[in-house]
Amino acid sequence: MNIIILLVVCAGLVAMRFVPKINILGWLAGWWIAVFVFLRWGIDPPLPTSIQGMFVAILTLALVAYLSANSAHFRFVLDQFVAFTTQKKYTISLLAVIAVLPCLVALRVYFDVTEGPAPPLSSRTIHPPPPTSIEVAGNTIDLVNDDNPYRALETEDPAAFEEHVENGRRVYYENCVYCHGDDMAGDGLFAHGFDPIPANFQDATTIAMLQEGYIFWRIAKGGPGLPNESTPWLSAMPAWENFLSEEDMWDVTLFLYDFTGHRPRAREDHGGGGDH
Amino acid sequence: MGEVETIRNNTDIAIRSSACRAERAVVRFSRSSLISYVLGACLPVVLLPLTVLAQPAPDLGADEQREAGRLLYIDKCAQCHGETGKGDGVAAPFMRPMPRDFTAGIYKVRTTPSGQLPTDDDIAGVIRNGMPYTGMPPWPQLNDDEIRNLVYYLKTFNDDFSGPYGVPDVIEIPNPPSFSESSAERGRAVYEENQCFDCHGMAGRGDGPSAVTLQEQWGNHIRPADLTKRWTFIGGDTREDIYRTFTTGLDGSPMPSYSITPIEDSWALVDYVYSLSQDDPDYATSATAQYANDPVDPAQGRAAFGEERGAYFPVVGQIIEPGRSFMPGVDGIEVKVRYNADEIAILLSWHDMSAETTGSNAPDMEVPPTEQVVRDTVTSIWSDAVAVQFPRELASGGMPYFLFGDARQPVDLWFADLASGEGRSYVGRGSGNLLAGETSPSVYATYEDGAWTAVFTMPRDERFAEDTFVPIAFSVWDGFNDERGNRRGVTGWYYLYLEPSERPSPVMPMLRASGLTLFVLLSIVGLMRFRYRTSVSA
Repeated sequence: MNIIILLVVCAGLVAMRFVPKINILGWLAGWWIAVFVFLRWGIDPPLPTSIQGMFVAILTLALVAYLSANSAHFRFVLDQFVAFTTQKKYTISLLAVIAVLPCLVALRVYFDVTEGPAPPLSSRTIHPPPPTSIEVAGNTIDLVNDDNPYRALETEDPAAFEEHVENGRRVYYENCVYCHGDDMAGDGLFAHGFDPIPANFQDATTIAMLQEGYIFWRIAKGGPGLPNESTPWLSAMPAWENFLSEEDMWDVTLFLYDFTGHRPRAREDHGGGGDH
Repeated sequence: MGEVETIRNNTDIAIRSSACRAERAVVRFSRSSLISYVLGACLPVVLLPLTVLAQPAPDLGADEQREAGRLLYIDKCAQCHGETGKGDGVAAPFMRPMPRDFTAGIYKVRTTPSGQLPTDDDIAGVIRNGMPYTGMPPWPQLNDDEIRNLVYYLKTFNDDFSGPYGVPDVIEIPNPPSFSESSAERGRAVYEENQCFDCHGMAGRGDGPSAVTLQEQWGNHIRPADLTKRWTFIGGDTREDIYRTFTTGLDGSPMPSYSITPIEDSWALVDYVYSLSQDDPDYATSATAQYANDPVDPAQGRAAFGEERGAYFPVVGQIIEPGRSFMPGVDGIEVKVRYNADEIAILLSWHDMSAETTGSNAPDMEVPPTEQVVRDTVTSIWSDAVAVQFPRELASGGMPYFLFGDARQPVDLWFADLASGEGRSYVGRGSGNLLAGETSPSVYATYEDGAWTAVFTMPRDERFAEDTFVPIAFSVWDGFNDERGNRRGVTGWYYLYLEPSERPSPVMPMLRASGLTLFVLLSIVGLMRFRYRTSVSA
């Protein structure tokens, strides 16, 4: 969000209220330009052109609907249009429009034809559904019911818990920091070399809304372990089960939460599910 | 023996060049007039007592500020810089350059004369902006107070900050004149006169004769900056930054401070260095292969591929599988492709500080997991090498794992060992499973002024159909950096687009679209006029 653009656009709309004798066409044009400017330059990172086009189309329809809701306004605009196409005093402007519009269309077609096609985009599943259990070094880990085995130490034995977090810190700075960054914002030294970009753990939509079992699954199985329905996925995230011990992977999960201050998502209550 | 000889020669050059600099400085000094001698001798005597009296006390912050800084330091910095500030944190062995040892009180980026401490703002600036392409990231998420507290805490690691020299002199950076081509042109002479090429190379690619022997204060090898990549400058990439970097030097590194007079010559050097590089790396996501009727002649090198800059992809370390490369010697690779009915020719070009053309290399060489992560000795065991990789089959869903493929989806790897100049092909099903491929690519490689250029030529198979996007990835080995096998620079998957041999002319679609628009406009106006006239007459 670009605050400056937003302020300028709002100021423009407010200023329009004070313009004496502005007619409905002026209003519509003003609103159209204001929203267009905001969509095009006011949003950071910028929206894809196709999305911008969609919003502009909706905006245009909405303005037409607004116009046709009031018959006096509608009549006025229609009269203006008839006058523009028929009256002598507008002949030169009319000729200009008839000459310029086809040229603009031709220019657009030229760019479309010569630009060449864009590389195929791969659609992504942000949080692919995890399997119910995974095998890591011969152990079966139940992703639905098992928690981080060291999480309980947080209340039971804070000193031992701190040791696990510290080990997680070591694991992170020896393995993860190069992509996920010193502040876990997904902007490490090598982050620019990968697409999709590394996950940003500071962001509220990553580890903060996931359970520790999920994090463990992503660390242990990496990009190669993603379910088929999540492909095509070019994730460079390795399957760390090949290089780290199970304890190291649980510890680094603890450290991710400890460093960012997020809490793992609370487990929904499975208590009523038949085994009681 | 030859190797030792080379090192000695290079050291000689380094010593000689610093001697040259000293000589020139003396010559320049003798030009000064007698008056300035006299003044220069008298001034300190007169001013010394005054300056000692006027010396402001260093700002060391309050206890609580230093304590706040300490907590932040333990949380964010100690992993690399170590709890005691000695630059020995858990991540330090994986970094080059090594994290700063704050106890030494030696700082690279300063606005103060060489040998002096930095100002608080200098330290704060490095924390805020980081040092690009090194382990030191920028910290935009820290606010000014937090950074100030950190600076106060960093200053406790070295007593000089609280001593008599705790407040350093500051070198004023004059307002830069605007950039001019003629100044940059003159700067080339200044560059040569000051023997910058000794480390930075004739074309500025960081490949000078001394480059392989340079050591920082702690005895580790350090690479001179590649001046053609301004975005990697640790002291910043503006013209003022460049001026400051050579005027104050990078203390603790072999980059000395230069006093280049007259001031116009200083800015000429700035402009020359500035002119060597574009503003940003402009990384690509795909490369375009152009159709050429005639086969490409690899011996012509770049000329056979057109002079314009090719697609430039970032190269990062292979830090996943054993034999990890935390600081690859290569950080980007340029790609240009031509094809005709029978062949596809791929030009790969990258900057390398030194060409290793002895020894051998291969993508499946073992790297002992116990081998020191970053070595600083020069070996001639491993040669430079490069490889380009494609999926063996173009499947609609998914791609092979980017590190030499996987069991489900193999890759074709075209590899060139630049010592023998021999091309080989492999079929990869993961880095532990590389088998020899059927057809070997022909390779033509040259090294000039710090840049390798390698041209691969292969028969064009059905994968490389016109108007298709073929996934492509690269690996680069820098023999100087002990890179072989899994220890290498890699890229993720990008695309190679094969531009159709016959490009449709845009004229017909343009005419059709504009004709249609014109027709619609005229119809509307005609209809309106017709209705208007009938309504008026009725």
